[in-house]
Amino acid sequence: MSNNRYEHISDQELLQKFYSDRDNQWLGIALQRYTLLLLGVCMKYLKNEEEAKDAVQQIFLKAITELGKYKVDYLKSWLYTVARNHCLMKLRDKNIFIPVEDDTPLASPETDRSELANKEITLTLLETSLEELNPEQKTCVTLFYLQKKSYQEIVNHTGYSLLQVKSHIQNGKRNLKILLEKKMNTNG
Amino acid sequence: MSQLSNILNHDEEPGSEELLRYLQGKATDEERFAIEKQMVDSSFVNEAMEGLQHFRDPEEVKNYVAQLNRQLQKHTDKKVTRRNKRKLKEQNWLTIAILAILLLCVTGYLLIHFLRVKH
Repeated sequence: MSNNRYEHISDQELLQKFYSDRDNQWLGIALQRYTLLLLGVCMKYLKNEEEAKDAVQQIFLKAITELGKYKVDYLKSWLYTVARNHCLMKLRDKNIFIPVEDDTPLASPETDRSELANKEITLTLLETSLEELNPEQKTCVTLFYLQKKSYQEIVNHTGYSLLQVKSHIQNGKRNLKILLEKKMNTNG
Repeated sequence: MSQLSNILNHDEEPGSEELLRYLQGKATDEERFAIEKQMVDSSFVNEAMEGLQHFRDPEEVKNYVAQLNRQLQKHTDKKVTRRNKRKLKEQNWLTIAILAILLLCVTGYLLIHFLRVKH
């Protein structure tokens, strides 16, 4: 079954099809979309190519079983949680404990896709909010979003580490949205 | 100022091919920007990209993915075939049961008929 034929079908639709006819092929199509990302996450935690591959296989089997038992609405975030938990369990078996990072998403995609994105007034407010960020966040956000520099270019330009650059962009974006929402509420 | 909308806009999620090109340093500027934007917004993509960079040969990653997808497909196909077989078995039993009932009815009717004729 060529999966290109199903590119236009969303994960939610594929899950719906599975829940209505219980045909595992729908799950196969949906899961294959995340093979690379799952392999990456498993590799990040397990640091071993063979173990990462085995882990992805086990996650697939688990997903097929679990998805048959209860309804999942957002496959991508559900799979990510399953993968992380699976890897952390594997590491725990080896007596390796990894502190869980704060992985609170910046915002749900739905919020991000807000219709406000292109409105002139929003962009004006965004411009003033950008000035209120701390200098590190302002520099990184400007270089990244406005000048479209790569992470590496920003590292070279600012002298910050890659981790710092990522963190300044993430926190900068989060703060910008908070400032923007405050301003929007004040403006009514 | 239009560049500011990059902060709020959500692009389409990059596919596996783009991600692999990024890992190999062969992505276009546009692809690179879209991927790094995704990395800011999604911990899943961010952690995955960190992990994928640990593979010795990014080209090998492609093979691993193809291999995993083949195994997954085998598994999902097998389950369906098995379920179909089970369905077929259930259907066979249903047919046998219906035929048996019909046969009993016909035999019963004939028996009663012949007994009446005899008397």
